Amino acid sequence: MASPVKSSPRDAQVMGAILKEMGVTEYEPRVVNVMLEFVYRYVTDVLEDAKVYCNHANKKSLDAEDIKLAVQCRMDHSFTSPPPRDLLMEISKHKNSQVMPLIKPYTGLRLPPDRYCLSAPNYRMSSHKAVKKHQARIQIGLPQFQQRINLSQMSMTPGGFIISGKLGAGGPHLTVVSKPGMGVPAVTIVTKPSGQQTMTAKPAIRISTGTSLNSLNQNRTFHQVVSTSSSHAGPQHTIQFQPLQSTTTSLITNQSMNPLKRKMEEDYDNPS
Amino acid sequence: MAGNEVPFSDSLKTQANMQQSLPFQNVPKADVSDKQTLLAVLQFLKKNNLKGTEELLKREASIKDDDVRPQTSSQSETDVSHALAAYKSADDPSLFTDYYTDLKTFIESCLDAHKVELSVILYPVFIHMYLEMVYNEHESYAILFFRRFSKEQEDFYQEDLQKLATVTKKEHMKGNELMESFKASKFVIKMSRDSYNHLKRYLQENKMKPLLNIIQEHLFIDVFDGVPRTKQQIDATSGALLGESERDANKVKVFYGLLKEPDINMPLEEEDEPPEGEDKPKKKKPKKDPLMMKKSKNDPHAPAFNRIPLPEMKDQDKMEKITAYREALKRVKVGRDNPPTICFYTVLNSYQGVTSIDMSEDSSLLCAGFADSTIRVFTTSSHKLRSMKTAAELDNIDRDADDVLERMMDDRSATDSKLLTGHSGPVYAARFSRDRKYLVSCSEDGTVRLWSLLTWTNLVCYKGHNHPVWDVEFSPYGHYFVSVGHDRTARLWATDHHVPIRIFSGHLSDMDCVKFHPNSNYIATGSNDRFIRLWDILNGNCVRLFSGHKGSVQALCFSPDGRFLASSGVDSVVLLWDIATGGLMAQMKGHTDTVYSLCFSRDGGVLASGGLDNSVKLWDVIKVLQEVDTDADTSIPSSVHVNDSTGLLIGSWATKATPVLCIHFTRKNLMIASGPAALTEEKSPHKT
Repeated sequence: MASPVKSSPRDAQVMGAILKEMGVTEYEPRVVNVMLEFVYRYVTDVLEDAKVYCNHANKKSLDAEDIKLAVQCRMDHSFTSPPPRDLLMEISKHKNSQVMPLIKPYTGLRLPPDRYCLSAPNYRMSSHKAVKKHQARIQIGLPQFQQRINLSQMSMTPGGFIISGKLGAGGPHLTVVSKPGMGVPAVTIVTKPSGQQTMTAKPAIRISTGTSLNSLNQNRTFHQVVSTSSSHAGPQHTIQFQPLQSTTTSLITNQSMNPLKRKMEEDYDNPS
Repeated sequence: MAGNEVPFSDSLKTQANMQQSLPFQNVPKADVSDKQTLLAVLQFLKKNNLKGTEELLKREASIKDDDVRPQTSSQSETDVSHALAAYKSADDPSLFTDYYTDLKTFIESCLDAHKVELSVILYPVFIHMYLEMVYNEHESYAILFFRRFSKEQEDFYQEDLQKLATVTKKEHMKGNELMESFKASKFVIKMSRDSYNHLKRYLQENKMKPLLNIIQEHLFIDVFDGVPRTKQQIDATSGALLGESERDANKVKVFYGLLKEPDINMPLEEEDEPPEGEDKPKKKKPKKDPLMMKKSKNDPHAPAFNRIPLPEMKDQDKMEKITAYREALKRVKVGRDNPPTICFYTVLNSYQGVTSIDMSEDSSLLCAGFADSTIRVFTTSSHKLRSMKTAAELDNIDRDADDVLERMMDDRSATDSKLLTGHSGPVYAARFSRDRKYLVSCSEDGTVRLWSLLTWTNLVCYKGHNHPVWDVEFSPYGHYFVSVGHDRTARLWATDHHVPIRIFSGHLSDMDCVKFHPNSNYIATGSNDRFIRLWDILNGNCVRLFSGHKGSVQALCFSPDGRFLASSGVDSVVLLWDIATGGLMAQMKGHTDTVYSLCFSRDGGVLASGGLDNSVKLWDVIKVLQEVDTDADTSIPSSVHVNDSTGLLIGSWATKATPVLCIHFTRKNLMIASGPAALTEEKSPHKT
C-alpha cells in the first residue's frame, strides 16, 4: 500500500524504490519485510558458496569470479527456469511424430498401468488371530539366542538397536526376525519415531539407515527392526517385525535380504 | 611535439559536420577510400610524431612521398577523422540516438496514410537498438537512450518496457526470458507495399547501416498489396509480444465443423438408417428439429470421425445423449430481446482462497479449487453425492439388475459436498469430464491429477510439467485432457498413458488457458505473450496464430458450432475471432478489469463474460454475424473491418463484491455464474 515511511531503515527504502521501479504500486507493508529477508538469505548463501569456491581455488581473497560462479550454481539449483524454446521445439517435434495411440475398445476404466496409478494400497494388513506372543522362526545372528522375544520387552534406543531385556544385559545386541505364521501376511506400519527409549502407548516405529551402525559394531549382524508396542486395546491385527536393512550378509542364510526391495508375498511364505 | 595538440583535437569536435569531397576523383571509388584511409593514418602518425611507424607504413603500402602532401591543415584533419569514423565501432552508441531521431522525423514527414503504418516499426527498432547498446556494454548511453524514448512508445508495450528497463548490463541479458525471445525471434509487422517501398528508399538513401542491419535481422515485414491500414485496424491486431501474426501462419485449412454424431436411436430421428427394433419408444412425433437436421448432413468443414482416435460410445453415453437432446428441446432462445436468466452461486467464507470454479456439462455438479490445495465438489441439484460401496459390499449386489448403477452407490455416504485432497500446491483448475465420472485438476506443484467421482479418490497423478500448471481441460468426448503451464508447453494426455502423447510448444511465455474445440481435433491456448494459438492434435502443428490482445490472455471459449473463438484477459477486451480465416471479427470493450470467464449460450447467439470487475456482461454475437462483411478479402489486412461498436453489449449485471470466475449455460439456456465472495478487507488470492 504505502511506500515505506521516511523513518524506516535504508534497506527498506531501497526495497520500496525497487518495487516502485518495477511497477508494483500497491502492496502490503509486509511485502518489503519478506523481500528483504529473501535478499539477505540469498546474498549470504551466495557469499558462503563463493567463500567455499575461493578456498578451493586456494585464493587469498574473494573476487568477482567466485561470486559469479556461486550465483550461477545457485541459479541452476534453486531458480530453475523452464527449458529453452529450441529444446522444447525439438522434444515436441519428436513426440508429435508418433502416431496417436489407439483406444482399446470395451474397457471400463482406462487408466495407466497400475504402477503409475495411485490405486494400490499403501499398507498391508495381517489379520492376526493368535495371541500377541510371537514365534521367532528365524534367528539371524548369534544362533545361541533362541529364545522367544516378547514384544513387551523390546525397546528402542536412539542408536537404533533393539535391546532385549530377556537376553541379558551386557550381552551382544541381537535383533531377531520373527516370521509370521504360514499364510498370514505381515504388516508394517510406519509412523514417526517417538524418540523415547522405553515403550510408549503409541506405536513407535523407526527406520534408520544401516550406515550409522556400521561404524559402531562391525562384527555383528544388525537388522533395523520395526518395533512397536502392542498395547492397543483389542486390535485385530498386530505388527510384526520385519527386516528393513541388513549390513552384513555372511550370517544370513537363504534369503536375498535386500530390504529396500519391496517384499513380495512369497518372500514371507518362503523363508528357505 | 608541437604538432600533437590542438588542431587534431579540434578536428574531432567538428566531426559531425563533415562533408568533405574526396580529393582523388579520377581513381575508382574502392581504391580511393582505401588509399584515403591509408593517407589518413599516415597523417595521424605524422601528427603524433610516430616517425618510425610512419616510415614503415609508407614502405609497406608503397606510397610515394609526394602523395602524402598535407593539404590545408583543417581539411586534412577532418579527412583523417572522417576516414577513421568509418572504422569506429559500427554501433557507436551516440549514433543510435541520431538514427532513431532521424527515423522519427522521416516518419513524421510521410503522408498520413503511411505514417501510421511506419510508426509501428519504431517500437522494435527502439528495443533492438537498446539491446545492441547493452550487449556492447555501453551502459550509460543505453540508459539515456531508454529514458528518452521509452515514454513515447505505445501504452500496451509499457509493461514489456518496464521489464526491459531492468536489463542494463550484458550479464542481465542471459537470464532474462523476454530478452531471449526478442533476440531469437523476429518481430512481425504487416505493411502495405507503398509504405514498405517508402521505407526502403529512405534507408538506402541515408546509408544508415546499423539501422538497416537491425531491420533486416530482427524484423519481419509482411508486405501486402493494398491500401495502407488505418490506426484503428493496426491497433486491433497489434499488442502481442512479437508483433502481429504473419498471414502465412493462418493459411492451413482448419476443420472447424462439428463431428458427425453417430446415429442414436432417438424418438425424432429422421435418418435413412433403420433404427434398432427393441428400444424404440412408443411415441414418435414427426417433428422437425434444427438440431438434428444439421447433424445429418456432411459438413465439408468437419473433420473425419476417425481423424483422431476417440472412445466409442457406450450405452451410458447414449442414454446421456438422449437426455441431453430432450432437454435441448426445451431450450429457451436467448438474445438481445430475451436476455437469459442468471443464477449466481457465491462461494462464501472461502478463506482458503478460491482459485477456480467449474460446472459439469449438465449443470448438476460444481467444483471449486482452492489455494490450500483442496478441491471441493458440490451438488447443485437435490441428488446428494454418494460414493461407491466397498469391494466387499459390491460382491453382494445383483449385477444384472437394471438399476445396478444406483445399487452400487452407498447411500450412507450421501452428502452435499465432497472434499478431494492430494495436491501439494494451490489448485489452479479443476474440470469435470462430460460423463461426470472423472475430475481432472492441476496445481502449482506441477502435477495433474485424475479423480474418480464414484469413489472420490485420486486415481492417477500425471507428472510431466516441472513447473506450475495453470489450466487443464477434458476433451468433449472424454479420454483426452490437455494441460498448460509455466513451462510454455501444452501437453495432451490420455487417461491411460502416464506420459503425454502430444507436446505443443511455440509460445514465448507461459500459457495461461486452454480449451478443446467442440470436435476434439484442435486445442486453443492463450498465453502471457498475448498470442492465441490453435493447435492440431493429430500432428502437433500450430494452425492459427491470433494476435490482438494487449494483455495476457486468461479466458477462451469456442462457440458451440465450432466456427468462432472468443478470448479475453488482462486487457479486459473481449475479442471474437473467425477460425476459418484467422481474422479478428469483433472487439467488445466494456469491462474495466481482467476477464476470467467466457461462455457462449447453447445456440451460440449470446456471449457472456465476467471477471474481476465483479460484473457479468452479455454481448450480441448474432449482430456481429449479421454485420460481417462477407465480400472482404481476408488476405489483405486493410480490407478487414473489425466490429467494435458499442451496440454489441446487451447488458451488464454487477455483483456486490464477487469476481466472476465461472460462467456456464445450462442445456436449457439458463445462465449460471459463480465466484468467491470477497467481502472482507483482505482479498482472496487470484490466479496470476
